[in-house]
Amino acid sequence: MPKSLLDYEEIVGKINISILRQLAENLKGARVVHVNSTRVGGGVAEILDWLISLMNELGLEASWEVISGPPEFYFTTKTFHNALQGKPASLTKTMVEAYEETNRQTADKLRGTLEDADFVFVHDPQPAALLEYCPNRKGKWIWRCHIDASRPYRRVWKYLEEKVEKYDASIFSMPSFAQRLPHPQFIIAPSIDPLSNKNCELDPTEIRSALETYGIENSKPVLTQISRFDRFKDPIGVIQAFNMLRETIDADLILAGGGASDDPEGQMVLEEVLEAANGDRQIHILNLPGDAHRMINALQRASTIVLQKSLQEGFGLTVTEALWKEKPVIGGNVGGIRLQVHNHHTGFLVNTPEGAALRMRYLLRHPEELEYMGKTGKRFVQENFLLTRHLREYLTLMLGLRRGLANYLITE
Amino acid sequence: MNDKPVFSIKDCALITRMAGLDSALNIREMRERVAVCPIECLYHHFCETVIRPTFDDPEFRNDFSIWCSTNLGEKKLAEQLGILNPYDFNNLEELRAKMMEIIDERLSELYYIPSAQIGEDFQFMRAVTVVFDTGKQIHSPDDLIRHIPFMSDSSLYYHFVEAHRRTPESTDDFTVFLKDFNHEYQPLIEEFARIDFYFLNLHELRLALKKAIESIVGAEVPGA
Repeated sequence: MPKSLLDYEEIVGKINISILRQLAENLKGARVVHVNSTRVGGGVAEILDWLISLMNELGLEASWEVISGPPEFYFTTKTFHNALQGKPASLTKTMVEAYEETNRQTADKLRGTLEDADFVFVHDPQPAALLEYCPNRKGKWIWRCHIDASRPYRRVWKYLEEKVEKYDASIFSMPSFAQRLPHPQFIIAPSIDPLSNKNCELDPTEIRSALETYGIENSKPVLTQISRFDRFKDPIGVIQAFNMLRETIDADLILAGGGASDDPEGQMVLEEVLEAANGDRQIHILNLPGDAHRMINALQRASTIVLQKSLQEGFGLTVTEALWKEKPVIGGNVGGIRLQVHNHHTGFLVNTPEGAALRMRYLLRHPEELEYMGKTGKRFVQENFLLTRHLREYLTLMLGLRRGLANYLITE
Repeated sequence: MNDKPVFSIKDCALITRMAGLDSALNIREMRERVAVCPIECLYHHFCETVIRPTFDDPEFRNDFSIWCSTNLGEKKLAEQLGILNPYDFNNLEELRAKMMEIIDERLSELYYIPSAQIGEDFQFMRAVTVVFDTGKQIHSPDDLIRHIPFMSDSSLYYHFVEAHRRTPESTDDFTVFLKDFNHEYQPLIEEFARIDFYFLNLHELRLALKKAIESIVGAEVPGA
């Protein structure tokens, strides 16, 4: 059931909800369309789930559209995704055709909605070409890039750049992810929904039962990495680190991946991970469905330490989720993880499997630090990285774009 | 005709954007960009840091110092820039000039230029601030005193911190209001003036304001 702003009041305070209502007063009735490539799985779908509903509650007319196409389309967009993160890739004529044709067909279907909207937020590269098929657009079009595009593979970026430079503005999750574009580039860090199935409080019995489901003992430390089976998340490196740790400390490792319907490489990586685990009964590899949010919540809450040993990362919402649950995070020294993890305060940043093993060992030997880091992490998330801050920035951005982007705007 | 002063409680929201400059990988590049960046960019990196979402409570208030310290290991320059209080200058151009002087001096002392790793370069930003009226009005100083501890962080930022840039006398909005009530509230005005607000985060500022009020009313006042 969709949550209402009142539901969040207890967590973020009355005053923060009141700020949202006052900002939205100036945007009442604005037609806002969000377009992405999947309704289930992955951080973007999770954000849109609550964003649409809360925008509507605030009096905007928000809707969510999804682009979908044949396997070649997803293959191409996965190539874009990897290339934006710096992986070399070739873009063939067939791939370009599949991408553009799917965008053209989607535009044909949605043209009325898109062209009439006051604001269109196009998320990531998949639907980025929609704009050129909507020549009579009335509103502001904003490209929202959730990916770490700080060092994209140039040849693929050159193609995508031609699509996104026509937008009125773009949004990146961190300043270092932004690319130089001929329009204003805003920074909005993502956020989590504290009341979603993935982040809400759980009964201890539900947490215990999650572990029992997978035959995981409650008596040993549990180390967990939750992320798609993707090479950039370095699941093999996590297994290597875990094997080093177990030379001195007995523990269980959970590698749980939520599937996303727009990720064709997942199965291949999962097989590699299973091979690396080599049938070890203390390494639990869970291929969870995209909607297993409560299970993920329970696994995170059951964990002693959460890992996110990514080699490349966007913002890293799984880190935010873990901090919200008062878990220290051992994270790769990349992307948005660097913003969230501060050595000895909210966890540790590491660069190698050896580093991860060293920090896991340290934390398991210093339980008092586990507690301090847990509380510190939760406080920072509560103050800055819950969805109300995220929504406030979207509203501020829309007001800014509507009023011509002066440095200082005074509303009526 | 009713000409009693009224204090309208306002609030604000901020969205940051790239300033459109190349990033800086070392102090020399930082100096080049500081010399030409829009003044709003300096304002953002010195003054708006306090209202930006963060996972950290950094040791310095301005982004230049944090970057020099964290990403370049250039502690001396970090401290020299870190002590600058932008509200001590008549305007931000003076602050820019002072920054350049400090950076130039440090550059003249260095035998090599420390550089940040790729991906840790300094990104020049600015912000769009949207100010809105909360609809709440205060009609007396006593009412204001009761309200201050309950204001949102962004409202405190707007009325106390940002006001120093906006008001003709470079002071806070509370003081401007209280001055309209003869000398009765002069001690409170003086307490507010003593708050070293630039070096406080908003939580600390709220506590400092509460403490100032309590010292005048002689009792604990409710609020965070």
